[in-house]
Amino acid sequence: YFSSSGYRISSDGKPAKFQLPPKPVIIDKQKQRKERRFLSPEFIPPRGRTDPLKFFIERKDMIQRRKVFNIPEFYVGSVLAVTTADPHASEKVTRFVGICIQRGGKGLGATFVLRNVIEDQGVEICYELYNPRIQAIEVLKLEKRLDDNLMYLRDALPEYSTFDVNMKPESRLDHEEVPVNKLQVRMKPKPWSKRWERPKYNIKGIKFELPEKKMKEAQKWSQPWLEFDMLREYDTSKIEDKIWKEVSEGLKK
Amino acid sequence: MMPIWTKSGKKHAVTLLKVQDCHVLRYISKEESGGKTSKLLVGGKNASPFFKSESAMEIFKEAGVPRKQKVTTFNVTDDAIIKPGTPLYAAHFRPGQFVDVTAKTIGKGFQGVMKRWGFKGQPASHGQTKTHRRPGAISTNKAAKVYRGKKMPGKMGNIYRTSFGLKVWRINTKHDVIYVNGSVPGHTNCLVKVRDSKLPTYKDCNKNPPFPTFFADGDEKLPEDLYDEEIFQFTDPSVTYA
Repeated sequence: YFSSSGYRISSDGKPAKFQLPPKPVIIDKQKQRKERRFLSPEFIPPRGRTDPLKFFIERKDMIQRRKVFNIPEFYVGSVLAVTTADPHASEKVTRFVGICIQRGGKGLGATFVLRNVIEDQGVEICYELYNPRIQAIEVLKLEKRLDDNLMYLRDALPEYSTFDVNMKPESRLDHEEVPVNKLQVRMKPKPWSKRWERPKYNIKGIKFELPEKKMKEAQKWSQPWLEFDMLREYDTSKIEDKIWKEVSEGLKK
Repeated sequence: MMPIWTKSGKKHAVTLLKVQDCHVLRYISKEESGGKTSKLLVGGKNASPFFKSESAMEIFKEAGVPRKQKVTTFNVTDDAIIKPGTPLYAAHFRPGQFVDVTAKTIGKGFQGVMKRWGFKGQPASHGQTKTHRRPGAISTNKAAKVYRGKKMPGKMGNIYRTSFGLKVWRINTKHDVIYVNGSVPGHTNCLVKVRDSKLPTYKDCNKNPPFPTFFADGDEKLPEDLYDEEIFQFTDPSVTYA
């Protein structure tokens, strides 16, 4: 056989032994950024005296459903399209596009409300995440807003709730952080369905065009002692870690 | 309580009941009890053996079982007698069966007539003097007395009540959990008595139940979850209407 190692001459002039090149060190810049973990809020059990066994059994069912049907990550403020099986529709399938205003419920009964304005009529539909009649959930635009609850869109100008029914899904890279839309919404003239200027709702996403006097009067209902109330504290960080491990292991199997 | 979906897409609410260390404590024959059928004493959740008199602990010592928090009687036919000391499991019931659930309701304390009996009370304004939630008249003039059992304010709740004819949707043999349709009297984690339904519509409903009970050390190896035929199991794909 033929080998070129004998022809390699080192600095002394004698044939040098073959030296392996240094192993390449791969620096993965994507992994260096902190791994983004998203645990859906319905997995976190509410504070109460229920037996943790009930939440464990429910989580098993939820993981089982997620294995068969993909429930994507989404937040309040992202635009979703949901296709549901409907016995009364002509094609047996209904598709609804809307912005998610609220995510409620824990466990298998978790729900989310989608809002859209169709032909000048505002429509809100409350879907259950684990309902077997849902055929597909697509995230058309993934983003967060300044608030957890966008119910004030009912009293905002309709342009903020209209979304094109045939919108194309927005492509985004996996590792980027979810963008926060700091949009300040303009409202219809008062009266509103709820007094959104009051501090109890703690809304940051409205551009209040009310006079200063009204804003000061609304601050009368503020309860500044609430943030220091120790009995209302519910630290979910450790619970979330445990549940995240359980869920990720369950989904891998 | 949890939601459960059927194969046709309908949602039902379901209560989870856990069978926690149930043992048969004693057999009382028909002549001894003086009733129409013989009785079996069954004990529930384990509790500490201290703080109880010797006479109360006798029953548990005889059966060879730790002290139970709750002891109930079941009327049993002669062919369903079980030896005292046998453990009872959730697999004693099967999906598709109908069941009666008895428990002590949530105690509300001393309550007025509007909350306790659902009286309408009086209007809030238009001249009512100090009378908004009172019972009003309690009897007629001719009666000249108040009848026994007149609905009046008093202690409400904390009494035994039964919900009849509840369907069993699913049974988890690993954790001994029974999924029962609808709501059940009592607060969360309270002790509950589950019995085969005595409603006439469900008299012949049980097809091949485990008789006299499900024995864990027997030959039968059950899967971890037993489902009713109509339940949508999460391993199946989504429901469609063809």
